[in-house]
Amino acid sequence: MRTLRDFTSDSAHWVKEQTKVDKGATLLSVEEMSLAYDSDAGRISALSSVSFDLKAGRTMALVGESGSGKSSVAKALMGLLGSNASLKGRAKLLGTDLLSLPEEQHVQFRGRDIGIVFQDPFTSLNPGMRVGQQIAEPLIWHYGADPEEAMRRTVAALAAMGMPDPEQVATAYPHQLSGGMQQRALIAGALICDPKLLILDEPTTALDVTVEARILELLEQTRNDRNLSMLFITHNLGVVNRIADDVCVLYAGEVIEIGPKDKVLGNPSHPYTRGLLASLPLLRGERRRIAPIPGGFPDLRTRPSGCIFADRCPFAEADCTSTRQSLRALRPGHEVRCWKSESTGAWPEVKRKGTRARPVASDTPILEARGLRKVYHRRVPGGGVTWEWKAGILPLPTLQTEALAAVDGIDLRLERGEILGIVGESGSGKSSFGRTILQLNGAYSGQVLFNNGDVTNLTEAELTDLRSKTQMVFQNPDSSLNPRRRVGEAIARAMRLHDKVGGGTREDVERLIERVGLPQGYYDRYPSQLSGGEKQRIGIARALATGPEFIVCDEPVSGLDVSVQATILNLLEELRDELGLSYVFISHDLAVVGHLSDRVAVMYAGRIVEIGQASQVQAPPFHPYTEVLLESAPDPRPSAVRRENKLQMRGDTVSRSPAGCAFAARCPRKIGTICEETAPPLRTFDGGHTIACHISPDDLVRSPQYPESEKDRTSDSQ
Amino acid sequence: MLGVLIALSLLAPFIIPYDPVALDITSRLQPPSTAHWLGTDEYGRDVLSRILMGGKLSLGLGFAATAVSLLLGVPLGLWAGYRGGRYEELILRGCDVLMSFPPIMLGLLILAVTPPAMWKLIIAVGIVYVPATVRLTRAVTLEIVSEEFILAARVRGERNSYILLKEILPNAMAPIVVEASLRVTFAILLGAALSFIGLGAQPPSSDWGLMISEARPLLDSAPWIALAPGFAMGLTVIAVNLLGDGLRATFDPKLRRHN
Amino acid sequence: MSIYILRRLMGITGVLVVISMLVFAITQIMPGDVANVLAGQFADDATIAAIEERLGLKDPFYVQYFNWAVSALQGDFGESMVMEQPVSPMIAEAFGRSLVLAFFAFILVVIFGIGIGVWSAVRRDKPTDHALSMFSYLGISVPEFFWGIVCVLLFARLLGWLPSGGAGNLSEDGLLGWSAHLVLPVLTLTFTLVAHVSRLTRSSMIEALDSQYVLNARAKGLPERHIVRGHALRNALLPSITVLAIDVGWLLGNIVVVEAVFSYPGLGRLLLFAIERHDLPLIQAGILVIALVYCLANLAADLLYAFLNPKIRYGQL
Repeated sequence: MRTLRDFTSDSAHWVKEQTKVDKGATLLSVEEMSLAYDSDAGRISALSSVSFDLKAGRTMALVGESGSGKSSVAKALMGLLGSNASLKGRAKLLGTDLLSLPEEQHVQFRGRDIGIVFQDPFTSLNPGMRVGQQIAEPLIWHYGADPEEAMRRTVAALAAMGMPDPEQVATAYPHQLSGGMQQRALIAGALICDPKLLILDEPTTALDVTVEARILELLEQTRNDRNLSMLFITHNLGVVNRIADDVCVLYAGEVIEIGPKDKVLGNPSHPYTRGLLASLPLLRGERRRIAPIPGGFPDLRTRPSGCIFADRCPFAEADCTSTRQSLRALRPGHEVRCWKSESTGAWPEVKRKGTRARPVASDTPILEARGLRKVYHRRVPGGGVTWEWKAGILPLPTLQTEALAAVDGIDLRLERGEILGIVGESGSGKSSFGRTILQLNGAYSGQVLFNNGDVTNLTEAELTDLRSKTQMVFQNPDSSLNPRRRVGEAIARAMRLHDKVGGGTREDVERLIERVGLPQGYYDRYPSQLSGGEKQRIGIARALATGPEFIVCDEPVSGLDVSVQATILNLLEELRDELGLSYVFISHDLAVVGHLSDRVAVMYAGRIVEIGQASQVQAPPFHPYTEVLLESAPDPRPSAVRRENKLQMRGDTVSRSPAGCAFAARCPRKIGTICEETAPPLRTFDGGHTIACHISPDDLVRSPQYPESEKDRTSDSQ
Repeated sequence: MLGVLIALSLLAPFIIPYDPVALDITSRLQPPSTAHWLGTDEYGRDVLSRILMGGKLSLGLGFAATAVSLLLGVPLGLWAGYRGGRYEELILRGCDVLMSFPPIMLGLLILAVTPPAMWKLIIAVGIVYVPATVRLTRAVTLEIVSEEFILAARVRGERNSYILLKEILPNAMAPIVVEASLRVTFAILLGAALSFIGLGAQPPSSDWGLMISEARPLLDSAPWIALAPGFAMGLTVIAVNLLGDGLRATFDPKLRRHN
Repeated sequence: MSIYILRRLMGITGVLVVISMLVFAITQIMPGDVANVLAGQFADDATIAAIEERLGLKDPFYVQYFNWAVSALQGDFGESMVMEQPVSPMIAEAFGRSLVLAFFAFILVVIFGIGIGVWSAVRRDKPTDHALSMFSYLGISVPEFFWGIVCVLLFARLLGWLPSGGAGNLSEDGLLGWSAHLVLPVLTLTFTLVAHVSRLTRSSMIEALDSQYVLNARAKGLPERHIVRGHALRNALLPSITVLAIDVGWLLGNIVVVEAVFSYPGLGRLLLFAIERHDLPLIQAGILVIALVYCLANLAADLLYAFLNPKIRYGQL
């Protein structure tokens, strides 16, 4: 076993007695890796002849949608595939083939030469063990470090991950840390033995964008400091743009395009890559119609003889389905698995069906919220006890409850035919707001008017009219349909209940199913027989079945792959135009919200900090929080500006300051104690653009980062 | 296998070779033979016939008691899980109290106050398993209530009764049925134990627990009288257990943790 | 943490109060007028009235309950109607004997139940696992009184190694004779419960071994042995604690049956005797004592659980 030479030194940067890898030399070479799983449904081919090289000190992004096999690559390299997997090919890490290593030797590599960070920080740490102990373990097992020394290094590693109080974190249990902190601890653990290769499997997918941005920055810095090589697995092209040097695009287990990031993202060659990029709504982009990839994922039990993407490709011709495609170099280092990629044009655009005027403020808004406030009480362990006399005899201890205002004083108007986007991170209260205005959240204070009629705190019996005219589209396609009911019957039930769209006959329902873009014959299916996108369409059809005027869309696309997300967004837009619907569209993704909405409200800790036209919110003047969000949001365009000294929030959990500005405690541009003590004034700009901030309007306009802001502002406001 | 056992029990009155309660002094305590496959007891009653008839009692008790616990427990559990608040608190505290008695004790307490009878045994055993049923139903209901399709039903203005019966119950049934099938075996065992200590079925009934109890003094001379019903019971319970495991595997592999 | 303990203590107290009411109420509706039973068949009305007066049977029931509860709290459960001597010492003596049985059985259940469960989880789907699960199937499928009888037949009658029933006396029979009387009842008690505990331990252990944090531990290159002991076992044992507490209930119930099988003069037999003779004070005291033990076992389990579970022990930072 190799040993650590200067293990006892106090330096955090210690040198291993090991083969030194020069920058630029090939560290990992994956050759012809094929993988199949045996399942009840038959043998599924997950990877087919995957090859790529990873050079020392570089970051390779492995990109693909769900089912592309990207995570299987990581598990294969780590030797963590289940017993039902059969693996072929080679993966040489500095000359050692990892795929043919017997388990006893593979164990030696894991954690010491290769570190890995998994997607979900909340379940990856052992809940019963102190964080520091879990990070220190590999040092003890791989190098025989004594526990004290290992713990010292652990604290140093936590500090290197930007933890403010590493000693305290080391002795904490996982549940005491926030998600971002847990993920940092996991990265520290993966790096503790100073591995040459770090594999990151969707490490930021479960986190908020602002936390994600900081983790990505940290990773980049760590890589530069240590000459580390990273294999970064993700579905998010924006994240790829931020972190990767090279990109390898996987589709259905095949590498379909590989090359330097600027080339693959800036000048995508394979139709699939182009389609992916065309499906993405872009921040601050012109409002274009996004163009989804038609069709669905192929059945991986039998691979087609021709191109795997042929049946979804708009450029496909007869030769594509008959000849097997092989990777072909377009230029040095940029290869594509398409024989005609030079001759195909741009991804076909989808024409917008007609245009419509932007709705203007009127006296008859469809919905109005006045001073809406919804408070939850939660029992806090350790919060204190009061003794209450119950039933006149027994003194019983009652835990003091902590009041949490999920929605903390919101005034909003929604015009008929308008789409109002609400954007915010987890804990911002955006979902609570959506449910409260639909009278689903129990009693609240403030007032809600629907069609100028007061519906505040009515009983269920008095709400019949509201129940038919308002509907909701949900986030999770797997949970939004009753698994024991045929989808047609679910829609028919909603129709019959209010009897407005049709009588709920089979024809009525099938007409509606067709309207949301599904073929005939879906009436008798159960939800488990549908894909995620299809379930979401049925969810939309069910919402339309009561004949609504107003729909709350609560993160309707966040559970979907990029290409499916695009089709759903287009559908929602079409329905709005056609049926004159109004939406409150809730999402954590500023680009998606900005793409679809007429107006956008930015929420933080239960309050709206900024509201305005979609283009106004994405351009200065900004509320500091909006600015942080925009800075953090990953953008897939290689040309996107990357600023040094980005604005960053302090801490990574929502903290509330009831008296002053909601964002005061974390604001990077806080101007003084006034922020915490006094509620911020509303600064109004052109066209109803409003920002709640103590910073003077002039200073807000003079946002230091965007010198061209004046020009943007004038061109955007109408 | 369970099918065969149930069939045998149901058909018992028609296929048994001898009257299970007829006394025959001339053939007392005979070891197993071709005439009496499992021998006879001290009153000359045919053991095989008694076991077959006992099977009906045991299985009947198991299923009936489970039905009692479902009838009481499922509605309470649904209500507690769906409404929450005071109702939930009240129902759960009630369960706590019932669960604070060891299972047999609760049966004892109920049976101790009145002379034993079969229907009381069924109700007693059923009540013993009500708290467990309530808790399971409530846990499953809580999980389903958090699903978005329940919210969807509320958004379109469905009544509570519709949501409970049409949206929640069909989805809660699978785990409840699986659990109930295992409950049947516990009920059979508990019923037998109560009969064994003399608080369940009364002579001359051919309940298995009672048969074993009655055969104890004769263990030296005629062990088959005690062993046969024991084996019969083991066989039955294993069959029901296998059925339960099968149901569990079909319905929900995640269910393991509810047990 | 202290609040958690406090809440549990209050909860247990409440439950005990309700249980005592329930026990009292049920025994009150038992058929057969107590005074009639005491006075005998041929007593005249005056005698019965006198007895009723003496026992306070004419008082409203809540006064009766209050009087009974107050003296019960002082350890006085009144006098047995049939034996005509104070209940408490009788109960204490029988309870001591039962406790010995329960204690040894419980220790064995903990050791073997958890051991077998963990072992078969680690060897999942291998022959060892299948053999052990066959064994546990038998355990949960055959009633303990039948095992008891089989044991008696095998070890006492056929082999003659051990006594078939009764209890030994430590001073007369010596340690060996005393423990010889315990072996069969304890074994019988243990068998069913080991099966139950090991099945549940196995499934929670398998859940832990399949978890993401164990995958993460494997990815760190830790040896499998350490992953099983250091990572999986710790979390898998938490649910086992609750299961063991529930099994104390089974144990207490089974003791009644097992004592009947082996004619072991413990609390269970005393209780059965009392039920047969409608001896009210004895029934009340016996059931209350058993419920108390069960509640305390659950309390102990809750506290142990809280102590071992960092999520309860240390709240949010």
